[in-house]
Amino acid sequence: MSLPSEAGQVHILRGVSLDIPEGQSVGIVGPSGSGKSTLMAVMTGLDKATDGRVHVAGQDITDLDEDSLALFRRENVGIVLQAFRLIPTMTALENVAVPLELAGRKGAFERAEAELKAVGLGHRLSHYPAQLSGGEQQRVALARAIAPEPTRLFADEPTGNLDTKTGAQVIDIMMDLHAKRGMTLILITHDLDLAARCQRMIEMRDGEIAGPQPEAIAAQ
Amino acid sequence: MSAYQASWSDIWRFAMREMRGGLAGFRVFIACLALGVAAIAAVGGVTQGILDQLNIKGQEILGGDVDIRLNQRTATDTEFDYLIQNSEQLTRVMRLRAMARAEESGGRTLVELKAVEDAYPLYGDLVLKTDDKETGDQQSTVFEKHDGAWSAAIEETLLSRLKVDVGDTLAVGDTRYQIRAVIEKEPDKSNEGFQLGPTLMVPYASMEETGLIRLGSLIRHHYRLRLAPSVNIDTWLTDLNTALPEAGWRIRDRSNGAPGIRRFIDQMGMFLTLVGLTALTVGGVGVGNAVRGYLDTRTETIATFKVLGADGSTVFRIYLTQIALIAAMSIVLGLILGSLAPLFVSEALREVLPVAPAFTLYPVQLALAATYGALTTAIFALWPLARARDIPAARLFRQLVTPDARWPHRRFVFATVAAILGIVGLAVGMAENKTLAAGFVAAAIGAFILLRAAAVLIAWAAKRTPRLNNPLARIAIANLHRPGAATAAVVLSLGLGLTLFAALAAIEHNMSSEVRERIPNEAPAFFFVDIQPFELEEFKEKVLSVPGARDLQTVPSLRGPVLAVGGIPSEEIDADPEEAWVLRGDRGLTYSATLPEGNKLVKGDWWPEDYSGPPLISLEVEAARGIGAEIGDTITVGVLGNEIEATIANLREVDWGTFGFNFVIVFAPGTLENAPHTHMATVKAQGPVEKAVFQTVTDAYPGVSVVRMKEVLSSVNDVLSQISSAVRVTAIVTIVAGVLVLAGAMAAGRRARVYDSVVLKVLGATRGNVLTAYMIEYALLGFITGLIALALGTVAAWFVITEVFEGDWVTPVGTMTLTISGAILVTVGFGLVLTWRILGVKAGRVLSTA
Repeated sequence: MSLPSEAGQVHILRGVSLDIPEGQSVGIVGPSGSGKSTLMAVMTGLDKATDGRVHVAGQDITDLDEDSLALFRRENVGIVLQAFRLIPTMTALENVAVPLELAGRKGAFERAEAELKAVGLGHRLSHYPAQLSGGEQQRVALARAIAPEPTRLFADEPTGNLDTKTGAQVIDIMMDLHAKRGMTLILITHDLDLAARCQRMIEMRDGEIAGPQPEAIAAQ
Repeated sequence: MSAYQASWSDIWRFAMREMRGGLAGFRVFIACLALGVAAIAAVGGVTQGILDQLNIKGQEILGGDVDIRLNQRTATDTEFDYLIQNSEQLTRVMRLRAMARAEESGGRTLVELKAVEDAYPLYGDLVLKTDDKETGDQQSTVFEKHDGAWSAAIEETLLSRLKVDVGDTLAVGDTRYQIRAVIEKEPDKSNEGFQLGPTLMVPYASMEETGLIRLGSLIRHHYRLRLAPSVNIDTWLTDLNTALPEAGWRIRDRSNGAPGIRRFIDQMGMFLTLVGLTALTVGGVGVGNAVRGYLDTRTETIATFKVLGADGSTVFRIYLTQIALIAAMSIVLGLILGSLAPLFVSEALREVLPVAPAFTLYPVQLALAATYGALTTAIFALWPLARARDIPAARLFRQLVTPDARWPHRRFVFATVAAILGIVGLAVGMAENKTLAAGFVAAAIGAFILLRAAAVLIAWAAKRTPRLNNPLARIAIANLHRPGAATAAVVLSLGLGLTLFAALAAIEHNMSSEVRERIPNEAPAFFFVDIQPFELEEFKEKVLSVPGARDLQTVPSLRGPVLAVGGIPSEEIDADPEEAWVLRGDRGLTYSATLPEGNKLVKGDWWPEDYSGPPLISLEVEAARGIGAEIGDTITVGVLGNEIEATIANLREVDWGTFGFNFVIVFAPGTLENAPHTHMATVKAQGPVEKAVFQTVTDAYPGVSVVRMKEVLSSVNDVLSQISSAVRVTAIVTIVAGVLVLAGAMAAGRRARVYDSVVLKVLGATRGNVLTAYMIEYALLGFITGLIALALGTVAAWFVITEVFEGDWVTPVGTMTLTISGAILVTVGFGLVLTWRILGVKAGRVLSTA
């Protein structure tokens, strides 16, 4: 994938070819600027590949327009971002309910409450993001990502803005949910130990997949 | 795949949650929109309020249910009997210009002599003040003969002009009047039109003795009627015209009294609405900036919505709902403020307005102002909303590095264009003079586009400026073109308001110069009216016998309306609005064997000097074009109750600026000579010669009215000043809107400025260095903006003065200086306040949170 800039074309992904089976947990590691987050953006339809095809959940999303990509995400993927990205003017409950409301699901707020309780935040339903700690905000983001019951969960550096202990808590919850619900988990991280908790690890460097081949490394 | 589209209740919920952050970023938005809407609502409300009052007080203003006017003759017995029999009450009023001489002080001046009967006024009250007591019920005693002498009431201005007091004596013609009262309120005054002198009110019965009622004298005989309440006026008028079709009188009824004032109020209202629209347009820039700024702060939230599965339409509708709600609140605020305007205007303009505007709500005017507000919001808010809608989620994270300059989807471009056409259509469609309105709108749009282009050019030029040695100047110039620079906002917002101000000030300067300087130097000192034919030769000798009196010109003079053109009655002709006046009211008529001085024959041939055939006329070429007349067509005029049909023999160009005798219609010899008429004269005289001529004429010819050019110009100057004040106030609203937008634009760039100044300080710049750099930037911006505004405003004013008014151009140096220095002061002033606050921010706080 390449982006234009005033200084010329910037090649972010250079010929990445990847196949992730359903239900698998995959850790994608690599140094800063290796293209990990961009790869995730392409896989979730947040960004468009300038070359090649992208198939997710049985759909070729390569040529979908923005609105179709939004609909695709609504139905198929949950995304947890490093910077939480909660909507500051909405409570924890409202934040989690947003994807359900956008999908027109009935009982959105009941479902949202259930998910917040599942991540241990049943007592924080009416709190705004500014009133929550970093760990709590990330757990709200996680609850929001899984509330629509997506088949695929993407997490981009979910512990990047958290201390070690809190980060570990969040990952524990994420792994637990993956195990219980059988969703495919793609975890972007620069932390090898974190990636090692996944069934498979892929290393990226300079916009390409480097290191062990896709089927090689088993989870610890 | 689910295709659920968020319902409007979903949208409303999202929008309201999102607005919990407060409206702090919308202060400028609300202020700009409310101000513009308030200006338009105020103008509309005041205008309609005045027109409504003119309607409500129609009978009082007209002086009756019907006013019938005959020029230079009284009604025949048949006509008079008909009027008496077909009305509940009739009263006569006679009006003419005459010279009044104060016996005690010796002062002399032109007055509007108004002779009234006991029944006057049929409606409203004539309020007179006698011996410091004010009462409305003294009329009968005031106008009684006292000790054999007639009595009069005078307008207060006469007291100082003639240096007289109540109890003193005035001579008018051959009659003496004792001043018994001062007129406090003359109920039908606003129906009289522009007056050359103050009112002197006398008993009707006294007029015969004055010796002023002579054949051909320019006397207006009014017959004011009160009709029974059950009478339908239209039917009554039809019956009158059927019964007396040849009367040749001018009839007004209570629904169309004071037409001159109505036209003036309409035109002023239209012009001020256009100026108000300009203010709203400037405010629209503020609206656009605020929306853009707000959406910038919502970038992350919008991205998050898109990440979570919101499509573009959902995002667009959420923020459109918010913007629409804030716009609605702003518009309501503007309407409330605008509705209160009549209260303040009545008080502030009590001396100027013919009637005070009623304080009431005018739904149509309010709806119009609200519509303008809504359309302005659409024009300036749709674009940034649409761009936020269309930008892909990931791109929002890369906005600043690779700025997205894409156009929004074409349906939003079409919607914006439709909104622009809507505003233009409304403004022009609602205007009385569509050509003028279209011209104004085109000029405003043109100025907007030029200012926008200028802003781009400034940034382009700043970017290509060679690197300067002085680092502070370098920073200042770099700030003009960097991403997020305030250049466009400053140039557009301040520039448009200043352009309007510069244009109006330059026009006012030129018109005032014309009245104060050019006209007095070139115009005659006096116009003499009502010179009887038998007095003419002696009059000429007497005037020229005064040493220093020169350029005496005389013309025969009659008055009469244009009744038909080519056989089509005047009221059925669809004349050009600019020339429609030719068919309204009476026209001055004259006859001449030779082409009048200052006139140029443009079509057809002039008649021989000894012509004595069928009636021929020469018509002014623009008037001919305006009423659709050509050589060979006939024009029918009414003269003293007779209809005269004449053929157009030629067309002339008239130089109206010569101040000589200029007539739209000039008859060939052989038609009007035997009709009773008088002569007019002009003469040039200055200083003591002027006084001597005045004394000579008023001593020898008490029946001749003397119009002093100085006094006329003084009255015109007063009117111009009052109009200028009203226009200037509205122009200032535009500048205030521009200043608000400027403040908003500067505040929006505050965060970046704070960061820059902190980094500069870390690198070793002192606070003085930072202040200097920013002051250079703002001064430069203000100077360039002022220069552009001055250029655009001056060009617009030059066009209006030279092409529309066909006057000579005088360069307004004062206005130029004021415009540029004003622009610099405002930008530097605001910049200083902003920079001072920026310099107070602690570096550590900024760097730790960056």
